[in-house]
Parts: sequence; C-alpha cells; structure tokens
Amino acid sequence: METTLSVRHLTKQFESTRALKGINLEVPAGRFVTLLGPSGCGKTTLLRAIAGITDPTAGEIWLAGRRIDALAPEKRNFGMVFQTYALFPHMNVEKNVAFGLEMRNVAKPEIAARVAAALELVGLDQHARRLPRQLSGGQQQRVALARAIVIEPDVLLFDEPLSNLDAKLRDSLREDLRTMQRKLGITSIYVTHDQSEAMALADEIVVMKDGEIVERGTPVDLYRRPRFRFTAEFLGLTNVIEADLSGSECRLPWGAVRKIENPAERASEGIAIRPEDIGIDAAKGEADGVVEQSMFLGASTHYWISAAGQELRVVTAGGQSDILATGQPVKLTLPPALHLLKTFEPAETPA
Amino acid sequence: MTPVRPTTLLLCLLPGVGYLLVFFGMPLVRVLVNSFSGRGPQTEVFTFTPWITLLTTPVYLDGLRFSVWLAVAPTALSLLIALPLSALMQANETSRRFFGSLYRIPLVVPGIVAAFLVLVMLDRGGMASRILTPLGIALPRLVRDEWGLGAIIASSWKNIPFMTLIISGSMAAINKDVLSAARTLGAGRFTILWRIQLPLAQPGITAAVLLTFISSLGSFVVPNLLGPSYPLPLSVHMYTEGFTKGNWPLVYAMGTLLSIVAVGVLLTYYAIIGSIGQSDAPKRAGA
Repeated sequence: METTLSVRHLTKQFESTRALKGINLEVPAGRFVTLLGPSGCGKTTLLRAIAGITDPTAGEIWLAGRRIDALAPEKRNFGMVFQTYALFPHMNVEKNVAFGLEMRNVAKPEIAARVAAALELVGLDQHARRLPRQLSGGQQQRVALARAIVIEPDVLLFDEPLSNLDAKLRDSLREDLRTMQRKLGITSIYVTHDQSEAMALADEIVVMKDGEIVERGTPVDLYRRPRFRFTAEFLGLTNVIEADLSGSECRLPWGAVRKIENPAERASEGIAIRPEDIGIDAAKGEADGVVEQSMFLGASTHYWISAAGQELRVVTAGGQSDILATGQPVKLTLPPALHLLKTFEPAETPA
Repeated sequence: MTPVRPTTLLLCLLPGVGYLLVFFGMPLVRVLVNSFSGRGPQTEVFTFTPWITLLTTPVYLDGLRFSVWLAVAPTALSLLIALPLSALMQANETSRRFFGSLYRIPLVVPGIVAAFLVLVMLDRGGMASRILTPLGIALPRLVRDEWGLGAIIASSWKNIPFMTLIISGSMAAINKDVLSAARTLGAGRFTILWRIQLPLAQPGITAAVLLTFISSLGSFVVPNLLGPSYPLPLSVHMYTEGFTKGNWPLVYAMGTLLSIVAVGVLLTYYAIIGSIGQSDAPKRAGA
C-alpha cells in the first residue's frame, strides 16, 4: 500500500525534557492508526507536530512524497478533532462547519451543500442553527468531526476526542467514528490512553512510552503476541509468571512443562498469560490454587487465585457456572504454548 | 431551606448598594440639582441659567466637542496599537515575555510625568526635533497644536498598557485548541485575530475602551499641559470656572453634560458592537 504520511527521526525537545526521541512512523493511505500510551509518553506532542501546531526540534514529516514539516498548519490540509471539542463558541453549528470551506474560498452554494451533507453524516442536520453551548458534549464533538471532514482532509488527526465524554456516549460515538472512517477512507491518526478505545478503532496500534515507540501491530497481534511486557500490561490484563527457561520449553512454578511460542526472544521478563486463557475448575486441572477474591461483572467474573506462590488473575465468561467462593480450592489449566515477554529498553539517543 | 426574610436580604445588600448610594448616587444627584441653581447667595434659587450659558456659548460648545475629540482619538489610537500587541503576546512564550515587560513601563508612570515626557520630547526645540532637524526632517507642531496631538499622544501612551493588560487577559482566556483548530482549518494569523480572537475577547475590549474613554474624557492634566489655548476641553473650563471665577453651578452643568455625553458615546459603541456581533452569532430567539 502507498504510504501517505511518513515521520522520520522526529525529535521534540522541551526546555529540559525530550518529549520525542527520534520517532519513525509510516502511515499507509486510508489506514486508521492509533497512538497509545500513558500520559507523558509523547503521543499528543507527536500528533501536534504532525498537525503543525507544535514545531519539532529535528526530523522530517512527509506527505505523499512532499516534505511538509516547514509548512504552516493552515497549509497542510489536515482535519483535527480535539479533546476539548475546540468549537468556535460565537458561531453556530453551521458556521463552525463552514469555516474551513470559507478559508478555501469555496463558492457559497457549494459551502451550503457540503455543510448540510457533513451535518447529516454526523446526525446533526436538525441543529444547524444552534450555538455550541446549546449542545451536549457528544453533539459538540460530532460538530467538531463534521468540521474536520467537510474540508476533505488528507489526514484526520484525533487528540483524545472521547476523553471528555461519559462512558455510554463514548461507546456510541466510538462506533460512529469507526463506521464513518471506514466509509470515508480518510487516513487517520488517533491519540488515546484508553486501550479498549485503541483496540476497537485501530487498524494498527502504535504503543508509545517516554517519547519512543515501543512496538506496533494490529490490535490482535499486540494483544496476543506482544514483544514487550510494557505492551502486554498496557493492553488489557495479563499475568506475568516467572519460569525456568530451557531451550524452547519452560518449567512452571508447579512443575508443569510448556512449549514456548517465541523461543527466539531471549532476555526474558517472564511468561505472559491472559486471564481468560487460564481454565479454572473445582476438580480438574494441573495446578492447585485457592480463590483469594472474586468479582462478578455480569458478562465475566474475575478471580484472584494464589497458586504455587504466584498471584494469578483468571477471567471466566459470566453465567457459565456458579461463582466460586473465596477460600475454595480450585484447579487451574494453562494453554499448551506460552508467550515470552521482553523488557523494553529505551534506545540510547544522543543528547 | 427557610426562605430569607426581606429585612435580612436588605441588610445583606446594604454594604454594596448602600455604598453606591452614599458615595456615588448622592453626589451625582447633588451635582445635577446644583446645576439648576443660582450663583453665590442665590444658591437656593431654581434657574436654567447655567445650562443656557453652557449650551449657547460657542467657547463651551467648542470645549465640549474638543473634550469628546480628546477622549475618542486616544481611545481609537490606543486600541489600534493594543489589539495587535495583545494578539502578538498570545503567539508564543518569547513574545509574551518580551512585550509583557515592555508594555508595563508606562503603567508605573503618573499622567503628569507622561505629559512632561511628551513635552520634553515633542515640543519645538525638544529632543525629537533636535535629532531630526539635522536629517532635514521637520516635525509638525505637536504640542499646544489645535488638534491636541500632543495630548492625544500622551493619553495614548498612558492608556495603551492598560488596554493591553485587559485585552491580552481576555485573549489569554480563549481555549488554545480553538485557535489551533482554526489554523488546521486554514486560517492565517490575521484571519484568526479578526474572526476568532476579536469576537471572543470582545467583553475585555469593551471594558478597555470604556475605561480609556472615560479617563480621557475627564482628563485635566494632559490637555492643560499639552493642549492648545483654544479650544479648551470642558475639564479645563470646569477648573477655571470653579476655582478662578467661582461659577459652581456652571461647573456642575458641565460635569452633568460630560457624563451624559459619556453615556451617549458608550451606548453608540454598544450599538455598533452589537450589530457586528449579530453577523456571526445567531439570534437567540431563532435557536
């Protein structure tokens, strides 16, 4: 696939901290890429540098074979959606959406038609004359989305757009975002600290930490086969077990031996097992454990099990069986092949 | 919750409303009443004489026009400089620091000192003409000139920092993401100033205009030092009529007239701003 956006050796130095340490990132055309990481990892700085709102200290940004990092943000033709919505409070919905088209000197009748179409797309055609303050947060963010897509941007940039919304609204807007991006096929970069948001939306997740990219991959790859412990723990829940390695096998604390999926990875941080991959039963299993605590969440039940000196989290699908009582002895079963994790070592960067 | 008794409510309001009534309302009423009284021993007599004198004497009418000019011109000039300055201060940290320290200097210089500074600089034979004359540049008459340019310069110099302080404050309160959003949508810096920053900072701009206008309208020191001998603004007439001629009813009439003019000019200003605001903001009733 043709590469639309390319970030090369991008560095951003704030007064005493280095927010970006030589980022390299290729975003293929039409792809939805999510930058995921804890706060302070540099994901927003990277997004703002791509938008042109923040000047990078060094490095290059290319768009479809053209270098754009020296270009003013107003010349880049990127649409951006902000966490704070950033609507123009003194303009009504229609005027907000029309703003970008006016800046492009689009003819008045065409502006009206395109604004109407964009508002219909986000389901706000009935609210064209309202002021932003007369809308709910979710509606405001829909206006912001319409305002960003109406200019037919080369790239859509999202800076934690759902973080200011309550949980229910977040889920519904997330689905809409996904549908809309698929339909329009606009190359998108989406910043979030919420792993479920990243997994739900992205074609590809880029995990960041301390101004560097840890690793990148499809949501399934990163969830099932993370290279680094940081990724495994940031994306969902995971158990990390210390085990004795020998060749392509490992010995678990309770004596059982398992194959390693990825024996080539040395310098082990431990074995990763997702809580939903552990079988739990009152009678059958390979390891003895005791229920320390349980938490019923409706669709699933979470257990904290102690087994052979290890504390393990186990998740079972809800409604399948009765909840196991605290203090009850149980048997655990692990999957036949296990996944080895590495420690993420920050790359040495010249100061 | 128990309902608040009216007497309790009145007692609670007393510190604020009472203060306004005693120190603002009463003197104002007294000024108005005394502007309809006779001079000296005839203080108790009701008469229209002060008002007739004021509104039929060409010297005073010219004075009124000149007062308004000396208030409008520095306000407009200060606004013209304070607006871009405030916008520039939003651009980045460096410019904020640079302009931030620069514009504060006149804040700590009293009006009369500012007037003397202008006098020393711009009077004929002053520093500016001594520097410029060898270069073949002749300055127009700037001090005691008929347009009051020296007074306008001094007032502006004094007021620009106040205006910048207020306007940059209200510009700084604008969500930075809103400005970033405008830029990504294709707006350059000037468009952002005109379409986003000015309308959103408008309450602050109005406050700044109001303060500058009122303080310039009643200004006495600056036009007295730097203004022409004719016309004289009403503030200077008020001083001479009161302290050298003892015609206090006329002074009160002048004061009342200045206040009425101030209210009139401000109402006009609000009407103009309101009509500009309408173009972008929808009417509430239609929403």
